[in-house]
Amino acid sequence: MTPGGKSLKLARRLKGATKYAILDAVSPIVAVLFAMAVASIALVIIGKNPFQVYATMVSFSFGRADSVASIFFKATPLIFSGLAVAVGFRVGLFNIGVEGQYLMGAFLASWAGFAIKGLPGYVHLPLVILAGALGGALWAFVPIWLKVKRGVHEVITTIMLNHTAFLLLHYLIFDVFMDKSQVVVGGAGSPRVRMPPIELSARVPNLHDALAVFGINLPAHAAVNWLLIGGIALAVGVWYLLWRTPFGLELRTVGHNPRAAETAGIRPQVVYFKAFLLSGAVAGLVGLSDLLGYFGYLDIDFPRGYGFAGIAVALVGRNSPFGIILAALLFGFLSRGGLGIQVLERVPMETYVILQGLIILSIVVASEVVRRYVRAQQKKEEAAAHAEP
Amino acid sequence: MQSPEMLASAIRLAVPIIITAVGAIYAERSGVVNIGLEGMMIVGSFSGAAVAFFLGPYAGMLAAILAGALFALIHAVASVHFRVDQIVSGVAINILAYGVVRFSAISIFKAATTSPHVNSLPRLSLPGLSEAAWLRPLVHNVSPLVLLAFALIPLTAWVMNRTVFGLRLRSVGEHPLAAETLGVNVYLMKYCGVVISGALAGLSGAYLSIEHNGMYVEGMTQGLGFIALAAMIFGNWMPLGAMWAGLLFGFAQAMSLRVVTQAVPYQFVRMIPYVLTILILAIWTRRARPPAAVGLPYERGEAT
Repeated sequence: MTPGGKSLKLARRLKGATKYAILDAVSPIVAVLFAMAVASIALVIIGKNPFQVYATMVSFSFGRADSVASIFFKATPLIFSGLAVAVGFRVGLFNIGVEGQYLMGAFLASWAGFAIKGLPGYVHLPLVILAGALGGALWAFVPIWLKVKRGVHEVITTIMLNHTAFLLLHYLIFDVFMDKSQVVVGGAGSPRVRMPPIELSARVPNLHDALAVFGINLPAHAAVNWLLIGGIALAVGVWYLLWRTPFGLELRTVGHNPRAAETAGIRPQVVYFKAFLLSGAVAGLVGLSDLLGYFGYLDIDFPRGYGFAGIAVALVGRNSPFGIILAALLFGFLSRGGLGIQVLERVPMETYVILQGLIILSIVVASEVVRRYVRAQQKKEEAAAHAEP
Repeated sequence: MQSPEMLASAIRLAVPIIITAVGAIYAERSGVVNIGLEGMMIVGSFSGAAVAFFLGPYAGMLAAILAGALFALIHAVASVHFRVDQIVSGVAINILAYGVVRFSAISIFKAATTSPHVNSLPRLSLPGLSEAAWLRPLVHNVSPLVLLAFALIPLTAWVMNRTVFGLRLRSVGEHPLAAETLGVNVYLMKYCGVVISGALAGLSGAYLSIEHNGMYVEGMTQGLGFIALAAMIFGNWMPLGAMWAGLLFGFAQAMSLRVVTQAVPYQFVRMIPYVLTILILAIWTRRARPPAAVGLPYERGEAT
């Protein structure tokens, strides 16, 4: 074989590789478009024009600076929950418990936020964030302990713990920590059921001042805060951990093939344990953007559903930290747009939830289709290469 | 006397768990994990109530069965044909079901979380025994679906153990390659198993809304689909075992609704079914004997 022939072959293979890489990158986009097409059926059934609805979604979301800021605010918890789910997926575990873990994280953070007084912000805030991570990790402890010690699949236990977490939170807010200073205003129903306000030293400031430096002036009510930057930093941290540290290598090896990892001297049970607690700790931070950057207190109507949205975010982001940031922004947009179509088009904002479910389905189907196509092509190429003398 | 009341309540609450757990047996025996049962129950509970509101309870039941089966079909297409992770697909089904039901509730009834009141199926009473006061709660004004749930147990045992269909279904869940070699249509069997599980989950949802509650209320399934899966595991993938496990969970549910004491806050009482589920799985999982090929995707013609 001449050297020229070899390099030609190599070039062809490289071209093939880039082709597959492009396919891999494009398939999530195709899947999202497919999901939007399927969701159109629901829109048509209720007598709406899907094109107009989606156009309103875009124009409402990107029409004003505060609306764009809202996309980033809505994306912030999704970055955390996407990362939490992705860490689980990378090691081969399915953490559907993010939902319960972040409620527990928000509770511990809220407790540390109002009960500890008189600390400077640079001590108090990190402490509160740690409390959030601790709450999430604690709630992740039971399912992973049962998985490793008793072989119980994590999916049912985490779901049961989601229900339990909500009931426990209900008890803690109602019966233990309720803010008694909340009074009925002018006979307007019952007093607000919530925990005492978090000390100002533990609040997360918004991004207005930082953005003003770049000439972007947000209106005062925009809620996007520094935890957005925190989420992006955490994504970098998770990337570093997964791809640049020995533990990350172990984690991914176990995720690929636990038996092979064991042969290589890794103890999968230990890696499962650590990785799931890490996933829980990240999950514990999911609620902090709302808690410390927006409400400033924990109440019974604290936002729910970020944990399930995180599954969609992780899958669309291909379990890669940077993909997750983009996917979180996509879902931030869909969520903001969902509000827009409710207000302007009288379309229920649950379209957003329908899209979540459809996107998960179409993305896993799309990646399977691409995988099969690539395998078939590679077989063909190999056969062709063998045929060439 | 409280106990017959309590028992009757436990049975009423066990019914949706038993019906769904029996459905789960069909899916898992064919080798497919169906985490989406909760979603199929949600879809069944809403579509059942919505159709019952306009066309009466029988049509409601039928609609719920069809809606559950339709969502199961999606799960089957994704996990059997496209061989995607069965758990991921099931979770997507659950999210999708929640969204579709809220969307429909707002579109039809202008309220996201409830439907109007609906009439239930005619109640059954055993005339002679209803006179005895202590038996009355058990045999008076019973929903026909209670009888159906218990009839499903011997029926499913017969289907699984005595029919060609049942044998093929189980062979596919134990060793699909061997089954295919013997000429069994593996995909068709898996589709059947999953769709039957969805139809039964839909029916169980309709029981909750039409029979038990008289209306659809958001969140009325409260994790029962997952508890049913745990009941199926605890029952070792056998109908009779699932029935006993279902009754146990039904009893826990009845307790969590009825026990009112000052000593224990009600939130902790409400946790009983969830904590019991976790405890039973913790004790039982190692001893459980699932179908050998459950959860594994099967690719046609892998033999070559």
